[in-house]
Amino acid sequence: MATTTATITLASSDLLSDPISFSTTAELTTAGTATGLSNTAGLARKTTGDTNEYTLLAAANYTDDKAHKIYLKNISTTSAQFFEVQVAGIVVGRLYAGDWAFFPWSADTTGTNCDVDITPSAADMTLEYMLLHE
Amino acid sequence: MATTATITLTSADIAGDPVNVSKTATCTKAGTTTDLDQTTGLSRVHLRSTTNKVLLAANAEGNDLAAKVYIINKATDPTLYCTITINAQTIGKLYAGDWMFIPWSQTDTSANIEIAATNWTASTGDIPVEYAVFHEDTDFLTNA
Repeated sequence: MATTTATITLASSDLLSDPISFSTTAELTTAGTATGLSNTAGLARKTTGDTNEYTLLAAANYTDDKAHKIYLKNISTTSAQFFEVQVAGIVVGRLYAGDWAFFPWSADTTGTNCDVDITPSAADMTLEYMLLHE
Repeated sequence: MATTATITLTSADIAGDPVNVSKTATCTKAGTTTDLDQTTGLSRVHLRSTTNKVLLAANAEGNDLAAKVYIINKATDPTLYCTITINAQTIGKLYAGDWMFIPWSQTDTSANIEIAATNWTASTGDIPVEYAVFHEDTDFLTNA
């Protein structure tokens, strides 16, 4: 059993009249257990050649309804450049330059095919990503 | 008004070599280097509904603006999870202690973020969930 942790720290000294700082660490486990996730696709990069939609992760390649976790990061440094992130054809949001996201993924294929798709705003952009899965 | 979000992913043994990823993003308005200037603050709800409840209602004014959403399941029983849905599509399940941080484009007024305490029963107790939104111009106030 592997031990993998994901920590987030959100901080601002001036967004509000008092500082914000909160941090939490999750130990990533298989669905409904205290057993650590044991598989990862590793940290990977995808460089796009055009502004078409790309399938980053195909749900059919993973088991439905588990505790998979996805990390995404837009490594662009041009502030206007973004990746539109979709799950099962639904737009989640736009990852602008330097932004990252981390979220659970059902990889469901029983209803809608829950692929993770990305659409870059410019032709030559690079996304880093990692899947941690059961 | 810089707000920063830092993620650290670590594992000594999930692969043959250690995993150690650490990235900090400064939360900015869409397509700019201007800092986000609004937040809902950190909120807390106690879920006891096995059907979807609207956690964050999409606002048409927020369409394609930058909003960052943080949600954490504060339950301690590892079997208790919350199902996260956007625009009626299940994204995934947050098990006890799990958190997520995503951009939210509010592509239309159907792009609500909904949550359900899917396996809650009277004997499990409530599932506490904390959440925050960091966003730009649009507000999340309800018309009087």
